[in-house]
Formats: sequence, structure tokens, C-alpha cells
Amino acid sequence: MTEATFPQCRIVTERLLSPETTEHLLNQICSVAGVRRMVLNGPRLPAIVDYGPAKGLANPHTMRKKIHVGDEEFELQVHVGTILLELENREVIPALQAACTPVFTDYSFYIQEGRFMKTEPSLVDYCKYGPDADKMIIGLADPKSKSKPVILQGTI
Amino acid sequence: MAYKPQYGPGQTQIAENRRKQMDPNHKLEKLRDISDKDVVLVMGHRAPGSAYPSAHPPLAEQQEPACPIRKLVTPTDGAKAGDRIRYIQFTDSMYNAPCQPYQRSWLESYRFRGIDPGTLSGRQIVECRERDLEKYAKELISTELFDAALTGIRGCTVHGHSLRLDENGMMFDMLQRFVIDKKTGIIKYIKDQVGVPLDTEVKVGKAQDAKWLKAHTTMYHSMVGTGFRDDPEYVEYITRIHELRVKYGFMPKEA
Repeated sequence: MTEATFPQCRIVTERLLSPETTEHLLNQICSVAGVRRMVLNGPRLPAIVDYGPAKGLANPHTMRKKIHVGDEEFELQVHVGTILLELENREVIPALQAACTPVFTDYSFYIQEGRFMKTEPSLVDYCKYGPDADKMIIGLADPKSKSKPVILQGTI
Repeated sequence: MAYKPQYGPGQTQIAENRRKQMDPNHKLEKLRDISDKDVVLVMGHRAPGSAYPSAHPPLAEQQEPACPIRKLVTPTDGAKAGDRIRYIQFTDSMYNAPCQPYQRSWLESYRFRGIDPGTLSGRQIVECRERDLEKYAKELISTELFDAALTGIRGCTVHGHSLRLDENGMMFDMLQRFVIDKKTGIIKYIKDQVGVPLDTEVKVGKAQDAKWLKAHTTMYHSMVGTGFRDDPEYVEYITRIHELRVKYGFMPKEA
């Protein structure tokens, strides 16, 4: 990875997204060339209740579903509310706007430009990945998490 | 002239709603029927129909110390019977929920006896004797203080108050204690307030529409309802309280 700083943006919606809408939106984003990295943000939906009196019980949740994006299928771990994106260049943003518009017909959304992802490894990243961590994965997931990023072919 | 409580400042509909809810002489509008059994099920403290476990013998059976306060205060039914202290906790969405944590504590203090309300930023808990609690909880759930989609009965994992709503208009719940039936629009509890699955679901009716919520909410929200700064009298009142609290250490004297 070069030292170049890539522009970042985030898609914020008026409502938290259902898995169906998330799938539709992500496939729309996949159709836009120039998206390097993407993070789905939102409140977590654990499969097992991890604290409280119901600790250890299964936690069926209609918002935690497997979705199919590009050629990959993966299970949502959060109730998606914000999507962070790292782009090749700023010219991608109007294309993103055009791709998102048909998805949100019932409520609004906006795209903000700024710095939303971690750009330098933190201490926990150093502990997890060591001194030569691949900067592509920094900021994509909680270093303590065992989950790995999903690679969507042809979009990075 | 007899003292007439004002309950709260403000000139907006929200302030008026707050006063109405706090005024014990105002009868709260009943929106849904919920049975005693359903209230017990949702709270999850005891099995419906089982006897109330007790924390001490009934007052009539135990020696009470000579105390002038005990003579003045009539015990509630739960206290008389020696019931345990139990709780119900509510989470209210910021998006025009009919009630909100501080409001709940205020109105409960005006309307109910023998309670211990606890107010937090996004949830409110009320503790009292078990049989009193069931009576109060029924009123809190069946009246205009409760909206099926925007109010949650949540003993733990309460997160949702400040989050955006789901696409279907429901407040976020990590444990998904209540779900909406897509065909009928009726919302039902499938877990009790701490997230333990229920054997039988508890129906709490349909969500109120946006117009009703906007007219009945007690929460200021500049984006979906009435902004707090649109109510100068309320702002003046809060500013005054804030000022006096800040100056308290310097022993303020009002002119």
C-alpha cells in the first residue's frame, strides 16, 4: 500500500436497514467501480445472548440473516445503520449517490465525505497483527474479533 | 386559595401532554386491553397464577414498633401482605414515544404509591411490592403512556432509545423481545422483559400512527416533532434551574 490517502465517505440512512435492503444496497455499491473498502456499522446482533438473565440462550433475530452480495454470501452481524466506504478517488461519490438513490424510496439518506476509518494501526492492532500488518485490514474489524473481512472479487 | 399544582412549564403541545400525564386527576386514555396474566408473563417475576412469594410475614401478623409515621401512612396491599420488591423497566424511543424516562418518574410519583422509580438516560425502572407493581404495570402498558412499537418493556439489554428506528417503524432491540406481524400489524412479545422466551406470546396491539404519536408525545425532538427551543418558557425554566444549581455552591440569594 502506498502512502496515498484515499478519500472516505459514509452512507447514513434515516432508518436502520433490513437485511433485504442491505443486500440491495450493497449490490448497488458493488456495481460502482472504485470502492476499495467497506465497513457495515450498526448495533450488534449476537447469535447467543451474552449477558443478563437469558445469558447462553439462542438469540433468533429477523435482522441477522445471510445476504448475498456479488459472488459472496455472508451473515450480517449488525443491524446496519451506516456504511463506511474508502474510495479510489472523489469522482466515485456521484456514482455512489446515483447507485443508492433507487434503494431508498421510502425514506432519506445522505452521503458524507470525511475520515471515518482507522488509518494507522493502534496498540490493539499491533498486538493482534504485529508490526507488519496489512493496512488493508486495519480499521475493517475489531482486532479482538475472530471474524475476517469478506473479499468481494472485482471491486477492490 | 387552595394550592393548584402546575406540574410543569411550557406552552407547546408537548408541555401540555406532560402536564396531563402527571396530573392524577386526568384519566389516561386506554388504548389496549392486556390481561393480568399477560402482565405477569411479560415481567417474568413469577408464574401466572402462582402465589406471591413473600419477603416478610403480613403486617397484621407481625409486631409493629410504636411509630407515629406507621400510624399516618396506610400500607399498600403489597406491603400489607409482605410481598417481594420487583420491577418493570421501560425503554422509550426518542422518535416521538408517548412517554420518556424523566416523565415516567414524575407521573408515577404523582399517580402511584409505594414506588421507587429510577431514571436513566434511555430507560426507566420502577420498583415496588409485587402485587402493587402488577397493578401499576397494567396501567402503564394499557394506556396512552405506551406505544407498542416505540416503547419497550426491557429489564436488561435496553439499547434502543437513541437509535434510528427499523424500517418497519420498530425501536431497535438486540434481543428482539417483540415482533410485528407483517400481515396484521399487531405487535407481540415473544420474550419476557429479560429476554427469556415466553411459552405463549403476549399481544400488545398495533403501533400508533405518526399523527397520533406527534400529538401525544412528551419528548422534544427538533427533527421529527417539536424542538425544545421552540418552547421559550421551558427553556427559561431549565435555564433557571441550571443557573441555580451552578450557583448553589456560592449560596445564591434571589432578588
